[in-house]
Amino acid sequence: MVLTCPVGIGRRTQRDQASGHSRRKLLRGGALLVLGGAAAPLTGCDLFDRDDQPAPPPDPLRPMVDESLALAEAYRGAATAHPDLADRLGPIAEAHTAHATELARVIGVALPSAAATAPTTAPAADPAGALAALRALEKTAQQSATQACAAAPAERAALLGSIVAARATHQEALK
Amino acid sequence: MRQPSSGEALASALSAEYAAIYAYGRIGVRLTGAAREAAHQAEAAHRRRRDTLVVQLTTAGGVVPPDRAGYALPFPVTDRASALRLAAEVEERAAAHWRAALASTTGADRDQALAALVEYAVRATRWRRTAGSSPLTVPFPGRPA
Repeated sequence: MVLTCPVGIGRRTQRDQASGHSRRKLLRGGALLVLGGAAAPLTGCDLFDRDDQPAPPPDPLRPMVDESLALAEAYRGAATAHPDLADRLGPIAEAHTAHATELARVIGVALPSAAATAPTTAPAADPAGALAALRALEKTAQQSATQACAAAPAERAALLGSIVAARATHQEALK
Repeated sequence: MRQPSSGEALASALSAEYAAIYAYGRIGVRLTGAAREAAHQAEAAHRRRRDTLVVQLTTAGGVVPPDRAGYALPFPVTDRASALRLAAEVEERAAAHWRAALASTTGADRDQALAALVEYAVRATRWRRTAGSSPLTVPFPGRPA
């Protein structure tokens, strides 16, 4: 028989990321070799795509990257619609972009392009309404970051805490 | 670098609260009206956190750092402008100590640290507004520069 796929290809769990091998995979590979003679015909890689070996779950912080980019876009949209507010909104938009950049670095993904996260709603026609809408977005985002911080491992807690605090200060700055 | 224990992190936060209370003593006398009242409220908030921490650390049998007679201020407070600048600085520095405690804590202790970080970051923003400085916010509150 020909094993067309090396054991464990393309299936790396969080646990065995460092070595690329786990005992279970090695055992399964061994069992396969033993069965090889009798269990013909083997169909390519199907045996390695069993449902009981799920793909690693996406990083729990991945949605926060998109959330931060969407917030930055919302601020840029409001600043374009209300140039008088640009001085106030610009630094906050940059802060959200900085959050997205830092989060992407921590979870090891490339920063998605902002175009993919463009907000679907247009900014309010009046400045006060635009500011209120941004405050509401920040409040919701602060809550999601608070949950993420509570659940985060130690090495991510401080960054997430700063993002929670930043979103709180943005609400204050929009008053 | 070794991660400080929860007790060590909270002891560090307590030292920051002592320093903040001391600083507000110098800040308050340079302010008037609403700003002075805001300084008093801020000082009271730091005293409450100090008292909570002393009880918490004592109950846990940890080391309770002593308060000192005085603390070196980062710059002299001579007028309203420098008082407001120091107030924002004090809040950012206290926020940094609580931010550092996040990594050493879990559960209710982490919630406590996060609440302090958020409260102080927001108050720093309010002080910047009172001072008329811009921008009102920093990208990563409490993060060492």
